[in-house]
Amino acid sequence: MKRRTLLRALAYASLLAPFGGIRAIAQSTKPSLITAFGHVPPPSDIKRIFAAGGPASVLLAVLAPHKMLGWPSQMSSKVLDALGSPLRDLPVLGRLSGRGSTIPTETLLALKPDLILDAGSVDDTYLSTAQRVTEQTGIPYVVIEGRLADSARQLLEAGRLLGAEARGNALADYAEEILSSAARVRKAIPLEKRPRVYYGRGQEGLETGMVGSLHMEAIDIAGGYNVAAQGGEKIGIARVSLEQIIGWAPEVILTQDGNFATRILEDPLWRTIPAVQTKRVYCAPTIPFGWLDVPPSINRLAGVIWLLAHLHSVGKDDLERKTAEFNRLFYGIEHASNTIPGLKTGGTQRRTQ
Amino acid sequence: MNVIEARALSIGYGRKVVMNSLAFNVKAGEVLCLLGPNGGGKTTLFKTLLGLLPPLSGEVHVLGEAIAGWSRLAFAQRVAYMPQAHAGIFPFTVNEIVLMGRTARIGRFAIPSRHDRKIAADCLEMLGIAHLGECIYTAISGGERQLALIARALAQQPTVLVMDEPTASLDFGNQIRILGHIGRLRDQGITILMSTHQPEHALRVADRIALLAPGSIAGIGTPRDIATPDKLAALYSVTEDEITAYLPTRALLN
Amino acid sequence: MSTKNAALPPVPAYLFALLGIVAIFMAAFAFGKYPISIVDLLRSIFARLTGADAELPEAIEIVIWNIRLPRIVAGMLIGAALAAAGAAYQNMFRNPLVSPDILGVSAGAGFGATIGIFFGLPLTVIQVLAFVCGLAAVGVVYGVSGLVRRHDPVLVLVLAGIAVGTLLNAGVSLLKILSDPHSQQLSNIVFWLLGSLNGVNSRDLASAVPLVLIGLVPMILLRWRVNLLSLPDEEAAALGIEVARLRMVLIIAATLVTATVVSIAGIVGWVGLVVPHAARFLVGPNFSRLLPASLLLGAGFVVGTDILARTLVVIELPLGIVTAMVGAPFFLYLLAHTGKTE
Repeated sequence: MKRRTLLRALAYASLLAPFGGIRAIAQSTKPSLITAFGHVPPPSDIKRIFAAGGPASVLLAVLAPHKMLGWPSQMSSKVLDALGSPLRDLPVLGRLSGRGSTIPTETLLALKPDLILDAGSVDDTYLSTAQRVTEQTGIPYVVIEGRLADSARQLLEAGRLLGAEARGNALADYAEEILSSAARVRKAIPLEKRPRVYYGRGQEGLETGMVGSLHMEAIDIAGGYNVAAQGGEKIGIARVSLEQIIGWAPEVILTQDGNFATRILEDPLWRTIPAVQTKRVYCAPTIPFGWLDVPPSINRLAGVIWLLAHLHSVGKDDLERKTAEFNRLFYGIEHASNTIPGLKTGGTQRRTQ
Repeated sequence: MNVIEARALSIGYGRKVVMNSLAFNVKAGEVLCLLGPNGGGKTTLFKTLLGLLPPLSGEVHVLGEAIAGWSRLAFAQRVAYMPQAHAGIFPFTVNEIVLMGRTARIGRFAIPSRHDRKIAADCLEMLGIAHLGECIYTAISGGERQLALIARALAQQPTVLVMDEPTASLDFGNQIRILGHIGRLRDQGITILMSTHQPEHALRVADRIALLAPGSIAGIGTPRDIATPDKLAALYSVTEDEITAYLPTRALLN
Repeated sequence: MSTKNAALPPVPAYLFALLGIVAIFMAAFAFGKYPISIVDLLRSIFARLTGADAELPEAIEIVIWNIRLPRIVAGMLIGAALAAAGAAYQNMFRNPLVSPDILGVSAGAGFGATIGIFFGLPLTVIQVLAFVCGLAAVGVVYGVSGLVRRHDPVLVLVLAGIAVGTLLNAGVSLLKILSDPHSQQLSNIVFWLLGSLNGVNSRDLASAVPLVLIGLVPMILLRWRVNLLSLPDEEAAALGIEVARLRMVLIIAATLVTATVVSIAGIVGWVGLVVPHAARFLVGPNFSRLLPASLLLGAGFVVGTDILARTLVVIELPLGIVTAMVGAPFFLYLLAHTGKTE
C-alpha cells in the first residue's frame, strides 16, 4: 500500500501543480478516483483521447464521443449500428495493458493523443504500467478507478477532466438515482432474504463470478445474493460444476448468453433447479454494452435498473421506459427499444444476438 | 544351390555409391565370412541383401526370388538377421526378446502361444542361456545380449542366418562360445553369412571367405586360397610380416 | 550382472489395479459438491439395479445418474484413451518420455477450439473444430516427415511434431492476445486449454465412445507387434514387420483416440506420460500386458484426479492442473524407484 500511496502522491504533484480546476476534486471529502501521470492539459485543450481498454472506451463514448480516437477492440456491427455516428465510424486501434497491449507504442505516438484514458480496478501493477507509458511516450495517462458503486463520482470526475462537465454532472445525478434506489432495496432486505442468484457465463454457463468480483458488481448492488459466495474475493471468474449449482438451488439464473438461457429451460439436467422450474432465467441484453458485465464499466447501471425489476419487482411496470431512457441519456440511442435486436429488456425466451 | 545371388550389384545410399558391380553367391549350407577394413561397406551390403536397403542397380536373388518380390513376413520366415547388440530402451525380459523372433511365424493379430514359448525356451537352452530367460535384457552383459540375439534369430527357424560381427566386443571365452555355436548351426544345415574383424575367427569357422576392399570384393574363395598373408596385407594395408606375426593360426592351414 | 525381473507377476498386479479402480469408481459416485449421503447413493444404485423406485428427490437422481455418471464415464474414457495412446507412442518412439501430444494432436485441437471460441461458435462446432484440427495437425506432421528421406523417420516425426506444435501454439497465443480480456473469450480459452470433465454430457460421450473404441481396436489387435517397434527399424523389419505401415496404423489409431477425448475434455496433460510409466512398472514393457494395464490405470487415474478437481476447493479446478499436481510428483517417485532396481 505504501508504494501505491507514493505513486498517487507523485501523480497528484504533477497533476495538481499547474491546474486549479482539478484541485477541487482533491479537496472533496472522498479521495479522488483519478490517478494521473504526466502533465494533464486543461480540459479545453483535450481534443484527442485514446481509450486504453474496454471500460475506458465506454466511459469516453458516453461522455465525450467526439474526442474518442478509436475502439480498443473489434466491435460488432450491431453495436456500432446501435451507437450510430460518430462512434460507428471509429477505427479499431487496440488496447494498452502492459504485456497484453495490442497497440504498438509507435502507433500510439503517431495518433498524437492529448490524453490516454484508462478505467478499471486499480492496483499497483496497473498504476506502474501506466506510469511507464507516460515516461516512454510523454503522453499524459489518467486512470479512473471503476467500481460500479462509484459510477456517479466516476462520471462526475471524468466529465470535469475531459471537458464535459455539464454532461458528466447530469449523468452522475442519474447514476446516483439508480444507485440509491438500489441501496434502498438492499437496506430493506437482509442478506439472507435476498433472492439467490446464479450468474452463468461462458459457453456452458458453468463459469461464474465469485463474491466481490468485478463481474458480480451489478448483481451485488441490485441486492442479489450470489450463490457462489464462498469462493473468496481474490478469485474473479471460476468454473463450477452443475451439481454444485443444483446444490446451491438458485432462485434466479442470470446470463448474457441467449443460447444458454434457452437451453437450460429445456435441459432435463437443469430441471430441478428452482430458477428453471419457476422460469426465472433472465438473459441480459448486450447491446451496445453488456448490462451485467463486459466491459465492467458504467454500462452496468442499465443492468442495475433491469435487475431491480427482475429480482425485486422494483419499477417493473415502466422497465422498458426506464431502460430506453438510459440508452437515450447515455448512448444517445433514440430508437424505440424493440427496433434493435438485443436491446430489449430481456426475458427468458429472448435471444440477445 | 545358391541361397543368395548377387549380380552386377551396386549398393549405397541415394547418390552415395558404397560398392560397385558386385557378383557373388552364398551356397546352401556353407558359412561365408566377410572380412574387410572398417568402412568397407559390410553393413551396407547386409542391409541390401536383407532387403532393408534397395540396390542402386543390379540384382539380388534370395532363395531363387528377387529381393524386391519378398514380403517382409515371408522373408523373415526364411532369413534371420542378428544385428550388433544394443542395450535397448525398455526393460523387456530375455524371453520376450527371443519371442520377438516368433513374430513372423504367428498370426498378424496373435500373441506368442505356448508352442512359441517352448521354441524360444529351446533356443535359449541350445545356446546355454536358459537361466537368463526371466532376466531383464537391458541389464545383462554384452556377451549375454549377443547370445540372446542369436537365440532370437534361431527362434525365427531360418534357413539362412545373417550375422553382423557376432563376436565384436566380447571377451575371449564368449568369442569361443559363439564361434562354437556358429559351427553347430552350420552342422544343422543353416546357411550362415557373417562378418568379422578377426581373420582368425573366419579361418576357424568359414567354408569360404570374401574380402571386402572399399568399393568392391577383392577376392572370394576357400580360406586356403583367400586368407593368404599377401591378400590380407593388401586388404588391411599392412605388411605380410605383420600379418604372419599376428596370425599364427595361418600356419595350421598350410 | 543379470537382474531378475522386478515386475510383479501379472495376475496379482491386474487384480490390484482392478480393485483400486473399482474403489475409485465408487468414491467418484460418493464425492461431490451436492451433498448425497451414502445411504441415498446405495438406495439409488440398488433401485437402478432392481428397477424399483428409490423414492428419492429428483435432484439427487439427476446428480447421481445424469451428472456424476457421465462424468465418471468420461473420466474413464479419457484416461484409458490417453494412457493407451501414450503407451503406444512411447514404444513407437522408443522413448519413455513421450506423451500422446508428441505429434501435435493436442496443439492442433487446442488451436481449433481456440478459433471456435474466438469466433463465438456453438459448443458442438468447437468440439468438431478441435477434433478436425487435431487430426489435421498430425496429418501435416506425418506428411512433412514423408517428404524428408534419408533421416531416421522417428526423429523426423518428432521434430516435425515439435515444429507444427510450436506453430499452432503460437496461433493460440495470438488469438488469446486478440480476444477481449473482459469478455468471456479469454477465460474460455484458458479453461479449455487446461482441460476439464465439467460439462461433458452423455451426448458428447455418445459420439466419443465409438471413436475411441475404433481407435483402440488396432492397438489391441496389434498388441504383440507394437513391441517390435521399440527395436531399431531395420531389426523390426528383419523380424517380419512392415515398419512404416505398422507405424502409420498406430499413429492413426492413437491420433483418433487422443483427438476425440481432447475435443470433449480439453487438454488433460500428464496422463499419457505418467500412466504408461506406472503400468510398465507394474507389468513390464510387453505391450500385450502394458496396454490393458495402461487402460485400467489411466481410467482410474483420471477418475481419481477428477474427484480432487471437483472437491478440493470451493470452485472447480481445471483437470489439467490436478493431473499435473498429482502426476509430476508420482513421476519423480517412479524415476527414483526404477533407478534403484536397474
